[in-house]
Amino acid sequence: MRAGDRTASQQEERVPRLAPDCDPTGLDLTPAQGFLLSRIDGLTPESVLLQLGGLDPDEVRRCLDDWSSEGLVVFGKGGPPSRSAESAPVPVVDEALDRIPTPDPELDLPVKAQEAILEMYERLERPYHELLGVPLDADTRTVKRAYFGLSKEYHPDRYFRRDIGAFQPLLERVFRKIVEAYELMSDPGVRAEMERSLSGEAEAPAGAAGSAPGAAKPRSRPLSPFSSLGRLIAKRRAKAKGFFEAAMVAGGEERWLEATGSLRLAIAFDPANALYRERFGEVQPKAHAIRFEQLMKEADSALSFRDRGDALRLFEEALHFKPYDPEANHTAARLAWLVAEDLRKAKEYALRATEAEPDKGDYRRTLGQIYQAAGFAANARRELKAAVRLNPKDKEARAALKSL
Amino acid sequence: MSRVIGIDLGTTNSCVAVIENGQSTVIPNAGGYRTTPSMFAISHDGKRLVGHLAKRQAITNARNTIFGSKRLIGRRFDAEEVRQAVEFCPYEIVRGANDDPRINIAGKTFTCPEIAGIILREMKRVAEEYVGEPISDAVITVPAYFNDTQRQCTKDAGKIAGLEVLRIINEPTAAAMAYGAGNREEEKVAIYDLGGGTFDISILDMSDGVIEVLATSGNTFLGGEDFDRRIVGHLLERFQETEGIDLSEDPMALQRLKDAGEKAKCDLSEREKTEISLPFIASDDSGPRHLQLEFDRSSLEALVHGLVNQTIKVVESCVQDAGLQPGEVDRVILVGGQTRMPLIQKAVGECFGKGAHKGVNPDEVVAVGAALQGEALVSDDQKLLLLDVTPLSLGIATAGGHFAKLIERNTTVPVRKTHTFTSTRDNQTAVKIRVLQGESDAAAHNDLLGEFVLSGIRKAPKGEPEIEVCFDIDANGIVSASATDLATGKEQSITVNATGTLSQEEIERIIEDQELFEVASKG
Repeated sequence: MRAGDRTASQQEERVPRLAPDCDPTGLDLTPAQGFLLSRIDGLTPESVLLQLGGLDPDEVRRCLDDWSSEGLVVFGKGGPPSRSAESAPVPVVDEALDRIPTPDPELDLPVKAQEAILEMYERLERPYHELLGVPLDADTRTVKRAYFGLSKEYHPDRYFRRDIGAFQPLLERVFRKIVEAYELMSDPGVRAEMERSLSGEAEAPAGAAGSAPGAAKPRSRPLSPFSSLGRLIAKRRAKAKGFFEAAMVAGGEERWLEATGSLRLAIAFDPANALYRERFGEVQPKAHAIRFEQLMKEADSALSFRDRGDALRLFEEALHFKPYDPEANHTAARLAWLVAEDLRKAKEYALRATEAEPDKGDYRRTLGQIYQAAGFAANARRELKAAVRLNPKDKEARAALKSL
Repeated sequence: MSRVIGIDLGTTNSCVAVIENGQSTVIPNAGGYRTTPSMFAISHDGKRLVGHLAKRQAITNARNTIFGSKRLIGRRFDAEEVRQAVEFCPYEIVRGANDDPRINIAGKTFTCPEIAGIILREMKRVAEEYVGEPISDAVITVPAYFNDTQRQCTKDAGKIAGLEVLRIINEPTAAAMAYGAGNREEEKVAIYDLGGGTFDISILDMSDGVIEVLATSGNTFLGGEDFDRRIVGHLLERFQETEGIDLSEDPMALQRLKDAGEKAKCDLSEREKTEISLPFIASDDSGPRHLQLEFDRSSLEALVHGLVNQTIKVVESCVQDAGLQPGEVDRVILVGGQTRMPLIQKAVGECFGKGAHKGVNPDEVVAVGAALQGEALVSDDQKLLLLDVTPLSLGIATAGGHFAKLIERNTTVPVRKTHTFTSTRDNQTAVKIRVLQGESDAAAHNDLLGEFVLSGIRKAPKGEPEIEVCFDIDANGIVSASATDLATGKEQSITVNATGTLSQEEIERIIEDQELFEVASKG
């Protein structure tokens, strides 16, 4: 075997969101521009906005640029990472695909196919039967047919040796998920569980009907209990249980990093287990908090050694685990401004800090100073005034305000 | 668009096919034969001979004629299979630099991928002469039960032959493809593939051009050659009994016995009785001695009965792995020359409760399937899709010599699984991980694919670093790995000390050697 080279090519894409405290009602916008403004939610990337009806792409770009220079809109790096950090949803165990491409007519892949892949990708976390497009009580033959049909469309071999760019990892992920859905849908144990949990959600009394003899709806043909899949899944579940138990022991001893790792494995082996996911949801923030603390400590010690470049890097890493921590954002903002001289980044961090704690004078001052450095006088004045109002003794803020 | 060829690189014979106007064609070599012996020799006057030319002089030049090298490819020199080969082969097998078996003939040492490469180059040449244009793309088949190292070595062989290997596919799966290509209906099919050196069984589910492998199993050291060896052993005994002479140390006699045994075996597939006649096979003080005896089907069957039973046991467990009863299999297809033997047809028929399908040519169907897969990959229409599985479980060695499976056998490929590692000592900066393939719970009983050293781990108290290692098995069944430090998102450098495979430099050097030779043979 050979070492694999996994290089995820990730081009940066702008994701606009509205600046806090901004009031667009005073602006003079056409209805189309208003519509565009209403679509800016901090998650939708620019490329998607470009495709909205009613405005041509150049106009969209121009509006975004204008609004950005007016401080109305700020650009983030991409929705999904921060979203996932906030809500700690289902972990993506096999890989982190934090960049979703948008249809690109340049690729050796019909746009229709690109759209189909994206659509399928969006639906990956849906219940398995929806993913396969079959009814919940579909028999094994229907499930297999659906699997074969989808495989023909989404197997990576379909685009063998073609340059499909960022769609390659997506396609691979979609296919793996289809296989997973098929394997689990073919397992009677998993099916029973799915039907229980889903019918409980959708129509509560449906489960009760099953208990009445004769009223049972036609059931799928059960697989032989000797089926390799049945045994495979039983084995995988046993393995998952082992990891889960290890996680619980680790959790009991407050070793959260280990607990998270074990739970991640448990979920990998038994993705349908709601308990594991629930626990993961509880434990992962703790592990993230620990890593955040570790990195913050390292960052502080780097600062105390005046290694400010390294400190910035560490703060940024820490923010990966706690994207909205005000203090870390504030320090990162100052470092990005003063050390890296990256005003865009600095503004981003400072905005996050003020968003989290709008009444902290220091944060407002920093944001004001960064605006000032970037030449946004109106915004700078607003922030610095707020800083002085919040903290009348802030000489630095006063001086900056004066210099404006 | 240049054409894709399919090559069945067999233990005994190889075969090449191409798709022309949607029709598959098996390409005959210059001698008109549709298969070419997988043999390579250096003649007394230093000429390199491949295929029939090599076979023709094998008897007189047994020490410098290589056959059956596929049985050695991708194995460690210390493996039991290699030890057996050393004992039985007339050519010299030596330990190579990577602990791989290498073959010494005419004072030159060849690696196994190199020999396979020479045979593949010959098949490529045969195809190029036939279509009249250069060919670079190929799909090459391997036994389904080949492990990662054996697949990797076969892929390297393709590279050495100057081929772009689009895909390595499993022989029984290729056969199923050839069978199922024009078949729209839903069927469960068993492919029983007993070739010269290896045995595979695959159970597949096919409908409307999609071919899904449900389970696969086999034995990479059981094939027609073992049948021949049993016959040769029998002949040696009989000769010793009647003439009092031991021929087992005489390479030339052994080669003649092997040829005669093979021929008798084939004869007995057609009739009940045959005669083996080898005049002047030995001589002593009293003059020349001849081997002359009658051999009938029932004594052949008594000799190989155990081998056939071994295969049937594997078939039974594979059917169970597929989640089926033998009777649920709709069709049984026999592949490989050895399946012409009536005893095998009878045993397989009894096992599944139905006779074998007669419509395929057991010698050619694999190459045809490989060509079809090549065509399916490069063409736009998606008439055929293969969903194959990994034949062996993949895992890592854990403390106490245990084997922790990460990817179970019969998992659909391509597949990717991750595993999180941590340190066991404070401030540990490197972890060694041994990756294995096999079914035993004891690590030592499985095949070692490679050792990784995960280095550059952040210094931290034990148990804290989380290194996520990602194992991939691609559609070729070839394993690769990469690692990420979860805390920092940094990719870790991985050093792989693969066992048995050639390094990139070695392959390039061999390619250069080969090219030099090409020039020399033309000039």
